[in-house]
Amino acid sequence: MTGLVLYARSRALPAALAALAATAVFAVWAAGRLDAYLDPDRRVPIVALAPLLASAVIGTSLYAPSDELDRTAVRPWWPRRLAQLLALAALASVLLAPAVLGHPEVFGPPAVIRNTLGCTGVTAAAAAVLGARLSWLPAFGYVTAVYLASSGARGRAATVWAWPMQPGVQPGAWAAALIAFVLGAALYAVRGARAEGPRG
Amino acid sequence: MTLVAEPEAPARAPHPLRAEAVRGFAPAAGAAVLLTTGVLLAGSSARWQGAWAETATEVHGSLLIAVPLAAAAGCWQGGRERRRRTEELWGTVVRAPLARFLASALPVAAWVALGHLLAAGLALLATWPYARGDRPHLAQLPGDAVALAAAALLGHVVGRAVPARLAAPLLAMAGYVGLGIATAGHAGALLQLNPSYRVLAEVRPLWWQPAAMAVWTGGLALAAVLGYAARRRGTALLPLTAAVAAGVLLVQSGDGLWRPDPLARRQVCDPSTTPAVCVNARYAGMLPQVTEALSGVTEKLRGVRGLPVRWEDRAGRPHPDEAALPAITPLGWSAVRGRLTDPRQFAWEAVAGLGLRGDCAEKWPTGRVLLADDAVEHYLAPLPARQHFDGIQAQGDAGDRAELRERRAARARLAGMGERQRRDWLSAYFAARGRCDVKGVPAL
Repeated sequence: MTGLVLYARSRALPAALAALAATAVFAVWAAGRLDAYLDPDRRVPIVALAPLLASAVIGTSLYAPSDELDRTAVRPWWPRRLAQLLALAALASVLLAPAVLGHPEVFGPPAVIRNTLGCTGVTAAAAAVLGARLSWLPAFGYVTAVYLASSGARGRAATVWAWPMQPGVQPGAWAAALIAFVLGAALYAVRGARAEGPRG
Repeated sequence: MTLVAEPEAPARAPHPLRAEAVRGFAPAAGAAVLLTTGVLLAGSSARWQGAWAETATEVHGSLLIAVPLAAAAGCWQGGRERRRRTEELWGTVVRAPLARFLASALPVAAWVALGHLLAAGLALLATWPYARGDRPHLAQLPGDAVALAAAALLGHVVGRAVPARLAAPLLAMAGYVGLGIATAGHAGALLQLNPSYRVLAEVRPLWWQPAAMAVWTGGLALAAVLGYAARRRGTALLPLTAAVAAGVLLVQSGDGLWRPDPLARRQVCDPSTTPAVCVNARYAGMLPQVTEALSGVTEKLRGVRGLPVRWEDRAGRPHPDEAALPAITPLGWSAVRGRLTDPRQFAWEAVAGLGLRGDCAEKWPTGRVLLADDAVEHYLAPLPARQHFDGIQAQGDAGDRAELRERRAARARLAGMGERQRRDWLSAYFAARGRCDVKGVPAL
């Protein structure tokens, strides 16, 4: 087996890919039941929650089973970590976008891609700080809280703090999501997932 | 005096529950619930801060995210021994499985409930300086805390039973989506059985509803715990029976679980003006600023006859001799944190309510009536954006510009009348509008 395949197996990437595919199928199925042809705002649950679930799947795959052994390696790990994260985020974006085709100016593919990147960034940062197994927690808490809090929120600040709930063309929301993604990806690439010892 | 020193009593080991409660994941789970609920409440503060009933509704509604989070936290804790690979070791100890289960599950359950209660306490503190009437609504807090603890216990059972990395996030997501669907549904048994179901701020639960909800959620959790960990699993039937009985009671009661808030049907009034100004007793303290916002209108209406007796502020349509006060609730629009957001807009809406009141089946107003309506509105409380709209109309076609000239002339004629002449004209206008008599509206 090549090093790449060994790396993928050690991170349980086949299971993560299967879970991402299942998430995409579920998102397409759920979007079809929302009857959102005339009112794209009905897609908000899909736009907010499908990327959240995908990011949870990505987060759990950031787990390093032999962290101490990895640290003894001669080659740097950050390119592999970064490539893994970027590949999974790109794949999740591509898989989830078909669930909300059309209406790109409101809740269409751009909003899903933005939320996938933002949630993945938050999850990657959480993996570096809390550990991969618990990396889903901050993104879940934030997105679900913002989902309920942002109805009726107005003003420029709301487009930033409520970025998961904004239409696809909102620049403030894109800026917030991209910053989260860049910071999270950089933190994870540099530090890796927090080691989970026997007390984890 | 004795020469033999008494042996020191051996230091007692702290109770396992104490160690679990002050260290490890349990406090973090409580902090997560506090933080998540805090983000929700901070983001939606305009909707609830300043009114006790809205605060209670929002805090109760936060269970929609807190319950799945508590379940996920319990699930995470439930998988701990598997992650640590200490399951076999635990199998060798003398304590019963139930005691071992509770020692690790109860602290998480207690902390998530405490996190919610802390968030509720902070929300009440945040509302206190801005509250304009009513008093804190605390009836649902105990039931909410039990629901959270029950979710954590149920999650713990799932965490013990399901050996999967994604178990906790999937449980959180499934709980959130499931509760969301149950909350968004407009009918059915799920509404009454849903611990996060939120009702309007003007409605209160019956005194026993929180207790029944606590038995429903707590009984289910206890049944799951006993069924999973008790030596005699048949004991699970007792809490299960209690839960089913409470559930049946909740479903059978239906909408009867809620009653209108008696305070919401009362008003406090300032009768010194014409019309009198009344606000709902739930925010009685806003009466002075509402009166102040309408003072420009009431000043100009002094001595005018044919007016409604009062601006009223309660649910339902106004009586024939009343006009509806502009809506102060839901909070976040007209009023935020006990203050009117735009008193000029509020006054304009109040004037609009004066002209179109009661059960009047409005006939299509003629141009003459529209002119009179516009002139009265402009005289009493002009729309803040009127200049903007007039500017747009001024750039329209010849017909638009002619209509605008006509309206401006009518406004000028009403404003230019003598005091007594204008009072008589306004009296005739309001009398005709009150009778739904379009033809009786005097010309300008």
